[in-house]
Amino acid sequence: MRGRALAGFAAAGLALSAVPFFGLPAFYESFLYLVLHWIVLAVSWNILSGYSGYFSFGHGAFFGAGMYTTATLATKAGVPFLWTLPAAGLVAAVFGVALGAVVFRLPRLRGELFALLTLAVTFVLATIVLNTSIDGGPGLVLSAVPLPAIGPSPSSTFYLLGLALALATLWIAREIQRSKLGTGLFAIHDDEDVAEVLGVPTYRYKLAAFGVSCGLAGIAGGIQAMFVSYVTVGETFSIAVPLYVVLMSVLGGSRHWFGPAVGAAVVTALLYAFTAGDYAVAGRAAVGLILILVILFLPEGIFGQAVRALERRRVSAAPAIDAADPPAPSAATPGKAEGKTLLEARGLSKAFRGVQALAEVDLEVRRGEILGLVGPNGSGKSTLINLVSGHFRPDSGRILFEGRDLAALQAHRIARTGLARTYQIPRPFAHLSVLENVALPAMFGRDALPRGEAGHEARRWLAFTGLAAKAMSLPGELNLHQRKFLELARALASRPGLLLLDEVFSGLTHAEIDDAIRLIRAIRAQGATIVFVEHVIRAVMELTDRIVVLSYGRVIAEGDPRAVMREPDVVAAYLGKPHA
Amino acid sequence: MPAVNHSVRAAFGALLALALAAHAALAAPSGPPVRIGSTLALTGPLAATGLVHKIVGEIYVEQLNRKDGLLGRPVEWVLKDDQSRPDLARTLYEQLITVDKVDLMMGPYATANILSAMGVAQRYNKVLIHHTFGTPSLAKYDMQFPAGGLAGDPDNTIPKVVFDALAASAKPPKSVAVVTSKFPSVHFISLGAREAAKKRGLREVAFLEWDFGNRDFGPIAARLKDAKPDFVWVGGLGLEGNLLIDAMRKIDYMPPLHFHLFPAPGPLLKAPGGENALAATTFEEHPPFTDNPVAVEFIRLYHERGAKAGLPDTSVENQSAISYSSWQTLEAAVTGAKSIDDKAIAQWLKRNPVDAIVGRLRWDGPFNYIYGSDLYKVKQNQNGKWVVIWPKEFAASGARLITP
Repeated sequence: MRGRALAGFAAAGLALSAVPFFGLPAFYESFLYLVLHWIVLAVSWNILSGYSGYFSFGHGAFFGAGMYTTATLATKAGVPFLWTLPAAGLVAAVFGVALGAVVFRLPRLRGELFALLTLAVTFVLATIVLNTSIDGGPGLVLSAVPLPAIGPSPSSTFYLLGLALALATLWIAREIQRSKLGTGLFAIHDDEDVAEVLGVPTYRYKLAAFGVSCGLAGIAGGIQAMFVSYVTVGETFSIAVPLYVVLMSVLGGSRHWFGPAVGAAVVTALLYAFTAGDYAVAGRAAVGLILILVILFLPEGIFGQAVRALERRRVSAAPAIDAADPPAPSAATPGKAEGKTLLEARGLSKAFRGVQALAEVDLEVRRGEILGLVGPNGSGKSTLINLVSGHFRPDSGRILFEGRDLAALQAHRIARTGLARTYQIPRPFAHLSVLENVALPAMFGRDALPRGEAGHEARRWLAFTGLAAKAMSLPGELNLHQRKFLELARALASRPGLLLLDEVFSGLTHAEIDDAIRLIRAIRAQGATIVFVEHVIRAVMELTDRIVVLSYGRVIAEGDPRAVMREPDVVAAYLGKPHA
Repeated sequence: MPAVNHSVRAAFGALLALALAAHAALAAPSGPPVRIGSTLALTGPLAATGLVHKIVGEIYVEQLNRKDGLLGRPVEWVLKDDQSRPDLARTLYEQLITVDKVDLMMGPYATANILSAMGVAQRYNKVLIHHTFGTPSLAKYDMQFPAGGLAGDPDNTIPKVVFDALAASAKPPKSVAVVTSKFPSVHFISLGAREAAKKRGLREVAFLEWDFGNRDFGPIAARLKDAKPDFVWVGGLGLEGNLLIDAMRKIDYMPPLHFHLFPAPGPLLKAPGGENALAATTFEEHPPFTDNPVAVEFIRLYHERGAKAGLPDTSVENQSAISYSSWQTLEAAVTGAKSIDDKAIAQWLKRNPVDAIVGRLRWDGPFNYIYGSDLYKVKQNQNGKWVVIWPKEFAASGARLITP
């Protein structure tokens, strides 16, 4: 598949690089260069912002950093133009990574705050460039910088440079989308916290995507500096670049590597189609109207819509997997001594703004058992699950999993030790198909399966949970029962050593609860170790080997389910103390 | 006899009409059109001024075609919208030359776009006549011809004429504050103003800069109020001067004299606090500029077309006048060279001046610029009207610098 794609790229590259030799007027090369230039900017922007949802309005800053790097090196240091291009990319990439290293550490800087911050960075950079010797006000002129004769004319040289960079950018965007990095970025797009808990190293992935995105924009800036030959702060660091790339990506479809390229070509061609002097304003208005209509009627973008339709067609053709062929989860791992301690919490405490959610909790989970974690609302059950899965960090205490302390580990590292969890309210990745939702933890869990294998694993777990027919649906198309099972399939696909189930039965009907009990018994039958937070006492009694009862963040009882549920403290915790 | 007389008169009249018709037929341009290509910022941030140049170009081409065109051929203006973007300007000029096959080129509006067009002109050995190139030192092409009246060293010539005007007033300023945008074509002229003030012994009490696009002039106004200069040089573009005046009025301050380098003349004329403001210009609607019948006719047409196009200010002043002068230059060069060959036109322009409505344009200096003198004058907003007050020979009748 990859080899065919590479051959396709090479063939397209060869065919398109022949354009300058067709004897076309130079204008066509310049026009095509502009199309390619915007393709690079839009596709590179999409690598971070489209894939991960971190909308950057700072693409102009990184593009500008590249422009000024080339302009400065070529005019002030006499560096040959082509040699300035790697430097332009590097400066922009380093700038982006440095910014990301700070910004991505702060969870509150997501969404619109990230967009505004990157926009502000553009203006800060413009101010620095304008008020230092980099520019100082008059701008930098590259008219005297020699342009290497790559093509038969200057226009063809720009075209060939643009073509090479556009092909490289498209290839990089494609490879990222089809890699673990891409899968992780799309998960970040939908729910970054869940992605991290499922094993995606979100910080590192965002940083990598930002660096690549900025670097490519920087190289495009370097070429553009030579193309316009006069670089000024006002023209370079304008809002136009980020606005255009956002528009192009949305128009083409930001969830596919090729979408922004389609958008860039369409927008550039449209803008060019209406340059006749007589009706300039009407032409621009027409362009705006066309874009509004396309965005309204094709919300996933031109290319995105087409890809979605193709994918759905492919679903029906996908081979079915027999539900009677359940995979063996790592949780089962027969052979390892049952009954030995798998997870141990000691002195675990957590407070939220003065409210003590957990206080000095000690807990032990033995290999192969189903441990029920019960208690009234607000007793600290979900907090305990969140601490163990790394969603929160404990204020004090230790969590030992197979002898390894999890308290200091980031959530994605905890996932890789073999812990998986479900959420009380299902939190699937809304824009990933059911299949992709389940394949992701297989890729990022303990066994870190390759992409293809992860897909196969996911299909087996979907068959196991009865969701095979929904593989290519979006989670929004599932009912609550199915979404709960999707949570379960997702947790199982990571082949966990320990499965943390947070209120799997809440909101289900009686019949659905029966289904779920059967499913968990099937998992149990393979020897899985499960911690089971639940309010449905029938399920607790039917499924658990032991239970631990929490009340006001403390363990008040533990042991055999039937015996523990009769203890007066437990009864009081659930029903209140009787008044004489 | 009267009947005979009547017949003779009728025959004579018919003959005359025939002769006139024949003359008109002879004078009407014929043959394949001479195609002149250009782009203008018709949309985007520079569109307001781009429209002025479009109206002027249309007027001029119509005037040409009403006469005998260029070299007897009709003239066709191929105009494209560069959307205020230099990269697009460059590509569109390439389209004009390599696809539309225009014969001649006229420059776009604004420095960056002109520089982009200049690169294309240089590659294809085309003459580029332009009007609004603000940084002459960047023009390194031998066949570019500025027709905006700016000298090769406007950082010297414009401050000179301004400070000359001030020095000749009844109460010359003793202190100066220079405040300026960092926009390339404005900033270096303002730096020249600092030097000029220093050489003339004026005490500089403040030098302040702002980034292009700044809209908050409060801090600059406050600093000016504290500094109390006799004269403020405002290196502003468009509405920046108005914004500064607004900010100064808000803190109950207005300097005795203030000069604006490239203002939006209409809004400054009407702005409260804009009374007695000074600005640079090459043309105003009063004698001696209107002693030229060509200028008078242009003013009439521009008023008419400007009103039709909805321009907020339809008076002919600097921007429209230099635009018209550029077309005059093109016509004079083609007519003088008797050719539309670019080399012939360039040679003719280097050897011959052109008398345009803004004055006599010459290109016999390095890279076709003249150093040490330009066509810029100083005007003042007097009683809601712009009038040139310096140099004396261009001043409106009875007008002189009003000082508080």
